[in-house]
Amino acid sequence: MLALITRRLMTAIPTLLVIILASFFLMRLAPGGPFDGERPLDPATQAALQQAYGLDRPLWEQAWLYISRLVQGDFGPSLVYRDFTVSELIAQGLPISLTLGGLAIVLALMIGVTAGLFAAVRAGQAADKTIMMLATVATALPTFVTGPALALFFGLWLGLLPVSGTGQGGAWLIMPVVALALPVSGAIAKLTRAGLASVLKQDHIRTARARGLPEVKILFKHGLRPALVPVASYLGPAAAGLLTGAVVVETVFGLPGLGRYFVQGALNRDYPLVLGVVTLYAALIILFNLFADLIYGWLDPRMREG
Amino acid sequence: MLKRHLPLALVLLIAALALLLPFFLPWSYDQIDWDAVRAPAFSEPHIFGTDDIGRDRLARLAAGTRITLLVAMAAALVSLVVGIAWGATAGWIGGKVDELMMRIVDGLYALPFMFIVILLMVVFGRSILLVFVGIGLVEWLTMARVVRGQVMALKQRPFILAAEAAGTPSTTIVLRHILPNIAGVALAYLMLTVPQVVMVESFLSFLGLGVQEPLTSLGILVKEGADDMDMAPLGLLLPGGLLVLILVCLTIEGERLRDRFS
Repeated sequence: MLALITRRLMTAIPTLLVIILASFFLMRLAPGGPFDGERPLDPATQAALQQAYGLDRPLWEQAWLYISRLVQGDFGPSLVYRDFTVSELIAQGLPISLTLGGLAIVLALMIGVTAGLFAAVRAGQAADKTIMMLATVATALPTFVTGPALALFFGLWLGLLPVSGTGQGGAWLIMPVVALALPVSGAIAKLTRAGLASVLKQDHIRTARARGLPEVKILFKHGLRPALVPVASYLGPAAAGLLTGAVVVETVFGLPGLGRYFVQGALNRDYPLVLGVVTLYAALIILFNLFADLIYGWLDPRMREG
Repeated sequence: MLKRHLPLALVLLIAALALLLPFFLPWSYDQIDWDAVRAPAFSEPHIFGTDDIGRDRLARLAAGTRITLLVAMAAALVSLVVGIAWGATAGWIGGKVDELMMRIVDGLYALPFMFIVILLMVVFGRSILLVFVGIGLVEWLTMARVVRGQVMALKQRPFILAAEAAGTPSTTIVLRHILPNIAGVALAYLMLTVPQVVMVESFLSFLGLGVQEPLTSLGILVKEGADDMDMAPLGLLLPGGLLVLILVCLTIEGERLRDRFS
């Protein structure tokens, strides 16, 4: 287990480096710069700003400087939100994005595993087919459609939930989390059903049945655990999907999370902000994949060695 | 036949309508009807009414669907070509090369790819061509994995071994004997890639990073509708509903095809 963790962290460093460098140079290829506001600045101010932030130096030197500061935990200053460092912006946005993503994955697991379990027990029957059809529809629901649609129904028409911003207890979280969780829950339901249906046909289940164990125990103790292996391996891609979905949800519901900073930063050419968010997201996804692998090993002991 | 492939038939019908409607409508999708700004639905002559600056909703839906489906097909083709080339090469050569190529695919899978695409769109955003090349370049990974698996399995089959023994050059074997045999599976995954690509394109357009005005796509229409939904909910519900319908139909059809081939 420790070996797995160290091995993964060793490959994580070059991966992160590649992502940072790719984003760095891509960003600089884009036309325009961070100081092209509504009113053009006079050339002297422009040059002074460029110099102050080191943007006049050769690109590779800037890249090197960026990375050597990053290693010390310094994400640099934001070029557009002038009085903030990128670290401060991230500290503001990250808790919101993490809350959204974390709650969404928990909700998706709850809905998905329950629905999948139910469908697998009734495999081949009408309930199974209905649930699987609903799961397919759920996977095809883009957050940027469900988000505004939910806001329209529950916010504007029924007036039950706040349409934008944070505050008012936890009610502001409900619609963004549901919009995020729906497509993931559909995918989890399908994986759970497929996994459980095949596990239930195996010998150890037949043995358990023959020994007269109660059906509930067979299902939860002997059936569900191996059946959840494909679900665990889906958690990594799901996390990546949730982070991208969060960009839309934060925009739709006006939440000051990381995703909004990322899109704004990309449009404003706020180089350090975009790089900081990409780096953080990449690190989060790598971390989550590792976490998913550990769950994987716990669910299926055969995987622990490899 | 029609009953079994109802979802696909529905998508084809939508595509045909999107293509043909503009010839029968008196309005183009970006034409402003000054006499009927914010016309409600079912008011003559605008069946679905007009939007906040007086453009016919039906004409805009048709134009948006057209662009969305066009981008989707083009991007799916890019992903098909790249995926097959990558997967077939890795699977055919095997050994160290295969391991390296598949490691790269695994690595790319774990990336926050959407963010790189967003950056790409910021860099090259003004061109619709680059929108779909960019999307296609992201969506080829699954195709590469599947194709590689198929090629690995085929490589052991007697007819391939016989062709090799007969001295047929590798490129000929791959092109003439391997590729035709993986066409079915590739087609199934192509069907599954199309809704993915539709989703990515609309996502980018929704954020204002994909298709640019004056062109329109379903993603842009959803965005416009969401911005104006307190005044005209139809503006959100029509393109949103159509987009979901297309996505659901394509997904069902794709999954069915995949289950048949695996």
